[in-house]
Amino acid sequence: MASIAASSTSFLVERPKWWRDGQIVRRRSITFLQRAFTYIVLIDIAFVFLVPIFYIMATSLKTSQDLTDPTIVWIPSGFFWINYPLAFFSMAYVKSLSNSLYISLGSALGQTVSCAFVGYGFARVRFPGRDALFALVLFTFLVPPQTIIVPLFILYKNLGWINTYQPFVVPSFFGHGLKGALFVVVFRQFFKTLPWELEEAARIDGASAFATWWRIMVPLAMPAVVVVFLFSVVWHWNDFFEPFIYLNRMEYFTLPMRLSVLSPSLDTATGGQASDLFNEALVMAAVFLVILPPLSIYLFTQRFFVESIDRTGLVE
Amino acid sequence: MKIAVSRDDGLAVARATAPVRRRRLSLTTQRMLEGYFFVSPWIVGFLVFLAWPLFQSFFLSFHELQATSLTDLKWKGIDNYKEAFFIDARFVPKLLATLKNNLLDVPVIMIFSLFSAILANQKIKGVIGFRAVFFLPLVIGSAQVIKQLFAQGVGGATLSQGVDVQELVYQYIGPDAAAGVSDLLNRLLFVLWKTGVQMLIFLAGLNSVSPVLYEAARVDGATDWDRFWKVTLPLLSPVILVNLVYTIVDSFTDTFNEVLEYIQQTAFAGGFRLGYAASLGWVYFAVVFVILFVVVRITNQYVFYAGDRNG
Repeated sequence: MASIAASSTSFLVERPKWWRDGQIVRRRSITFLQRAFTYIVLIDIAFVFLVPIFYIMATSLKTSQDLTDPTIVWIPSGFFWINYPLAFFSMAYVKSLSNSLYISLGSALGQTVSCAFVGYGFARVRFPGRDALFALVLFTFLVPPQTIIVPLFILYKNLGWINTYQPFVVPSFFGHGLKGALFVVVFRQFFKTLPWELEEAARIDGASAFATWWRIMVPLAMPAVVVVFLFSVVWHWNDFFEPFIYLNRMEYFTLPMRLSVLSPSLDTATGGQASDLFNEALVMAAVFLVILPPLSIYLFTQRFFVESIDRTGLVE
Repeated sequence: MKIAVSRDDGLAVARATAPVRRRRLSLTTQRMLEGYFFVSPWIVGFLVFLAWPLFQSFFLSFHELQATSLTDLKWKGIDNYKEAFFIDARFVPKLLATLKNNLLDVPVIMIFSLFSAILANQKIKGVIGFRAVFFLPLVIGSAQVIKQLFAQGVGGATLSQGVDVQELVYQYIGPDAAAGVSDLLNRLLFVLWKTGVQMLIFLAGLNSVSPVLYEAARVDGATDWDRFWKVTLPLLSPVILVNLVYTIVDSFTDTFNEVLEYIQQTAFAGGFRLGYAASLGWVYFAVVFVILFVVVRITNQYVFYAGDRNG
């Protein structure tokens, strides 16, 4: 077969007769070695990311004897489940979970809607000062939140927003909040890749600018909408700098914040007699309960995360 | 005649139904206003949640303000800045430590994420599963979780079991390097945990490199090694720049950062010195900005822009 193919194209490209065959043989042998090597390295890297999760799970099931026993590292002597209910109650799990959900879903909704709106303006409408404004968007990404935290704190305090969720949700409806600039950029890039024809047809049929955006462009931008929403949820879920500034009463704490006050709250949950129950295993059980919700969401939505940039056309 | 009358009627009707038309703005002006309509929420947000706080924080940095009495504002001139650099024994060492850490971390993150992206871009079975695992830290890597794990020593010990890297470096390179390396090793796991987004960006960049170029390079006799340096890397260089900026911003605003922790302590936990915290915030912002500016200027010289990129 190979020789026939080679001879039939030999009038196009003059090449030595051995060239094509030799190439095939060489490529096959390399591919096998390459493949084995690639798998080894891939498993190695995956190990780096999975080790902490294994560690959390293994440690959370240990008894206090297991913890001090140097021969027990990865496999506990038995399944010591008691750490989970202890961690569950001392973190006030249901309450903290709903706090976390409120902040991350509310902010993610705000950022998705507002950044899609603003991003469309930057991508599709020409107006004076657009490029300068877009440069400002990029600039806001560079400002560390810590530089402006003091005036923001004073502002929210005067508004009576301390110990409420407004400091997270309200800015996000204006295209700001945690990494808001990044989401504006994502939507801008995505809208730039869409064809003009549908939009022009809608305008000619008499749709207003808003209707064109909401009824034509947003449905087309669903891939970007999903990606921005998921990233926003996860980043807000894991954020803890701003929650720690704006929320200082325990009943408003998010789930990750609860980890930092685990020891005192265990005491109150058990009536002050649980200090001997507090150990590494309990902490790890609490950590596992904290990562459980995002982890289970990720199991179902991982392809949106992994394909996010291909879907949104961010790198062109 | 009849025809002319009906024409007149037609015109009259047209005029009557479109009285707005005369006062309507030109199409360009209208489109322009639409543009402002779309970006207006962002501008309002920018003024309220960024520009004004930024200005106020600049203003506060020249004043003394205690969190306990917010009305008591005292002018201090540049005393806050003087204190940060010459009196405060903690700020400058923390700033230098942060700079040093990021100087080590950013290249590690960049190289590791490029490496894992190239691996995850191989066309082999199960690679999608690996991609999902590589991206896991972004989903669960909350700062609090990392802090707890770090406190338990899950950092470097679990990774470099059996090989005493620190000892090797100490022997062959020297004590200074050994201290830096051991510091990096202790944090290595968490540094590698921050590579998720960068890996995604690199993956997309790798996908956008045209296979035709690889084919051409192969026909010309380039090895895989040559192709990486002569085809992949130049075409990826704009993506590298984007990633570099993202990584620098991300690691300088990371919560796992001594300066930021110190600013927070000064302002809220214990210190309550809002004016001084604001000046520390501005010093830090200026430092980060200068670093970004220098890095972008230098890197931009090596970036290869293929074709028209005026999108």
